[in-house]
Amino acid sequence: MNAGAVSRRTLLAGSAAAAAGLGVAGCSSSDSGGSAPKAKERKPGQKITLTFWAWVPGIDKAVDLWNSQNPDVQVKLEKVSPSGGAQYAKMHAALKAGNPPDVAQVEFQVIPDFLLDNGLVDLAKYGIAKDKDKFVDWQWQQGVFGSSVYAVPQASGPMGLFYRKDLFDKWGIAVPTTWDEYAAAAKKVRKADPKAYISTFPPANGGWFTGLAWQAGAKWFDTHGDTWTIDIDNAETRKVAEYWEGLIKQGLVSTEPDQQDSWFADVQHGRIVAWPSAQWGDAILSGNAEPTKGKWRAAPIPVWDKAKPISANWGGSTTALLRGGNYITDALKFAVWLNTDPKSIDLLIAGGYGWPAAKGAFAGSALDKPSPFFGGQKYNTVFAASDKLIDKSWKWIPTIQATYKHLGDEFTKAINDKTSFATAIANVQKATVADMKAKGLKVA
Amino acid sequence: MSRSSRSSRAAIGFLAPFGVLFALFFVAPIGYAVYQSLFTVERSGPLGLGGAHTVFAGLSNYSRALADAQFTASLGRVLLFGVVQVPVMIIGATLLALLLESASARGIRFFRTAFFLPYGVPGVVASILWGFLYVPGISPIVSLAHGAGWQVDFLSSGTVLWSIANIATWQFTGYNMLVLIAQLKSVPGDLYEAATIDGANAWQVVWHIKLPMLRPALVLTTVFTIIGTLQLFSEPLVLKPLTGNINGSYTPNLNAYTEAFQNNNYNLAAAEAVLLALVACVLSFGFLKIVGRREKP
Amino acid sequence: MTAVVDRPATVQSGQTRRHAGTPAVRYRILVTALLAVAAVYFLVPVYWLVVSMTKSSSGLFGSFGFWFADPHPIDNLRAVLTYDHGTYLRWFANSVLYALVGGVVATLLAAAAGYGLAKFSFRGREAVFNVVLAGVLIPGTALALPLYLMFAKVGMSNTYWSVLLPSMVSPFGVYLCRIYATAAVPDGLLEAARIDGASELGIFRRIVLRIMSPALVTVFLFQFVAIWNNFFLPLVMLSDSKLYPITLGLTSWFGYTDRQPVLYQYTVGGAFLSVLPLMVLMVVLQRYWRTGLTEGSVKA
Repeated sequence: MNAGAVSRRTLLAGSAAAAAGLGVAGCSSSDSGGSAPKAKERKPGQKITLTFWAWVPGIDKAVDLWNSQNPDVQVKLEKVSPSGGAQYAKMHAALKAGNPPDVAQVEFQVIPDFLLDNGLVDLAKYGIAKDKDKFVDWQWQQGVFGSSVYAVPQASGPMGLFYRKDLFDKWGIAVPTTWDEYAAAAKKVRKADPKAYISTFPPANGGWFTGLAWQAGAKWFDTHGDTWTIDIDNAETRKVAEYWEGLIKQGLVSTEPDQQDSWFADVQHGRIVAWPSAQWGDAILSGNAEPTKGKWRAAPIPVWDKAKPISANWGGSTTALLRGGNYITDALKFAVWLNTDPKSIDLLIAGGYGWPAAKGAFAGSALDKPSPFFGGQKYNTVFAASDKLIDKSWKWIPTIQATYKHLGDEFTKAINDKTSFATAIANVQKATVADMKAKGLKVA
Repeated sequence: MSRSSRSSRAAIGFLAPFGVLFALFFVAPIGYAVYQSLFTVERSGPLGLGGAHTVFAGLSNYSRALADAQFTASLGRVLLFGVVQVPVMIIGATLLALLLESASARGIRFFRTAFFLPYGVPGVVASILWGFLYVPGISPIVSLAHGAGWQVDFLSSGTVLWSIANIATWQFTGYNMLVLIAQLKSVPGDLYEAATIDGANAWQVVWHIKLPMLRPALVLTTVFTIIGTLQLFSEPLVLKPLTGNINGSYTPNLNAYTEAFQNNNYNLAAAEAVLLALVACVLSFGFLKIVGRREKP
Repeated sequence: MTAVVDRPATVQSGQTRRHAGTPAVRYRILVTALLAVAAVYFLVPVYWLVVSMTKSSSGLFGSFGFWFADPHPIDNLRAVLTYDHGTYLRWFANSVLYALVGGVVATLLAAAAGYGLAKFSFRGREAVFNVVLAGVLIPGTALALPLYLMFAKVGMSNTYWSVLLPSMVSPFGVYLCRIYATAAVPDGLLEAARIDGASELGIFRRIVLRIMSPALVTVFLFQFVAIWNNFFLPLVMLSDSKLYPITLGLTSWFGYTDRQPVLYQYTVGGAFLSVLPLMVLMVVLQRYWRTGLTEGSVKA
């Protein structure tokens, strides 16, 4: 008898059994969280701690305020990195592992992503309807799907143009109001300082480009019954893409990524002198370019047609409850408080969270005051106006993150290979349709 | 009989603790990945709210992975990376080992430590460091080069792969050098002495004695480097935000990670992990086989 | 099969006899120059780290990278250690826990398995050894993803165990230990102990482990560094920052820098602190690296 052989066989058999056992377990429960775990609720008098993942700078101060007022329902904030969608990778992993945070910051465009994975709690079942009137309607609608409500809106990102007034004045450049004027201004900047660019075209920033296509009147996504229509490759999108392609080809804008080390260095040193960005860009500028304090101003985003000015939106966040989290009633109370309490809103504004979703939050708030970073300008009047000029019927698809990646890949490739942006857009269209179909969704 | 069964029982006893963990954390994951890769999720309703269920998909995840130009491009990219970086690093390590072991070297201890030091820097930290040295506007290297009239861009589409290769080379050359030095030290000293007395010069000693001696260690380090190359992940992940030329599918590993956690295609990601393990095994076994064949006349 | 004895003296005398005079000096200058160039390459990023660790975030962007500007090393390090309720220290402790416990357990398991494979003959021994060798060749990161799915299934992802358990397996350690045990543990000694009535476990604990100690130190160091430097496994496994090792913690700071620029400074300071202990470990224990490796690669 040779026990060695047995040992090997047992070892292999054991591991096979382990694999098979796990496999069987994999079969029995749906992979996309079909059966929601039963959430715990707080008993009267019980002290609990909610976990909250977010990345708005300064949101910790709002959380501290809540904690001081609610000794029984403490919130533990964890700041997650928003770089390149890392925060959502982390959330999806936690959802899959069954230990997600109770509350999370989720942007407008990824709500359908999370729904496809059955990752959000339907707040309609917990009586959120009564809070509907506290919020601006179009931001509220971002979380509404059929009769369900999946998110408490937090803030949006109406776009404007941040620019270095001192340099524009010095170089005799008028603030551009249309995209044509913007191109002319870009040329003047290059002439005035060969090291400087008016701004960058960040090839990998899909969200930014989407905002600009949205402004041009593109409507990328829609549903008819169960079927999606994907219309990225349309005249409006191509117009925007070809506009930037032209600027790049003439060497009028740089193509470095935005909001990164080298971009910050360029912004600090006057090598990037403007930024078409969202309202929440204010905090990023003031936080990273302290030495340029007082030299910046905000102006309306350039438009395509002066006669019919349409503005743009980039980004926007909600506070959502992830499925598998606990204490839903209290978590919802916190989410509503965070985004409607005037003191909380003031703290979030100071942190640069964007344009408030709460109705009437602008007047009298920190947004309504002159800012030293912007040379005493009451710069948010620009964004208040911008907010009114956004087409609010825009819809998102559940594979938008992949689409953002395709946009980045295709623009990068087009710039490197000197191929046309129109082809890039056509490729993004094809890839997006394929993504949707691969998810088992119907696409017209 | 009793003697041999006692010995077998003991062998099981010694092997079992490792064997169980090995089965659970090396064998089972492979099995589980293979299993997962055979399924796919089907949904109904525009947002999948009509329900989702897992269905058997055969090999469709594999055909999808292999049909995905991004994934195959990422495989090609690490292969190209390996073809250049592996020899460069192994030759560099061999050179440094021979120099340090040559009679003419001074300050051996200092140099050896300096070369080996980067091995103690985790890949992500090394990438953050080098990232600062690559980014224009911050990097002192770039500004020195510009000062000298040399336009360098470490993060352009043509250079970024080699900038990543540089990080890997920086980290692991010293480590490989140490393995090779260990091998050189195991050569009996009188062998060198005999050779030199016989009139062999330094080059002849290197060529006819030292390099053949290094062979097993060279095989070992090369195989490990090949495996390491296929695993490239943290370097591109850290450098990704700094340049549009690195995307979420830059390396096979990054691609699998993106599919799993960004796009929620766990089954597809499992298939990609299996393919990656397969390629690694084929390459390293293949290399060992080629080396082994030449060994036996 | 004992520790390698440094032998440069003998080799030198042999060669200087031959290359006495100017050629030897010329060689020496050439060799030293080449080594110095290499040293500059390997040390420049470390030098940059030392310089940058003394700077503020705006200093990082605004001053020349290879020279000091308004240095505040102590203040910066204190800020790193106290930021966010001292979370850096917690990450550091986690890294030590993962690497130390994982390293020790992996070494002991590898020692036992390597010894079992070396000194007991049984059918299928070579097959088992080959399976272990295949384990060496499988990229660890290809395993991480399915491991995560498995741990998630049994509700154990995002725990200390999810990083610790997989770290306890070192196929390469088994490989090294087998080779070392075959060569270094004399069969006669084992026989004598058996005749004296010692149990197999007793023999292993009292005799074998001691003889194998040089190889064990090497295996431990390897595993320690591998776990310390590991990024992918904790990245997929952990979502709670309380469980993070340093690698993950630092990248989470780095990823948040655009929202909170002071984190640039903390990331650099934290990177500096994180490489210190390992560098000390490498310098002090260098001899052990070579010792165990010699045994491993000679027989490979």
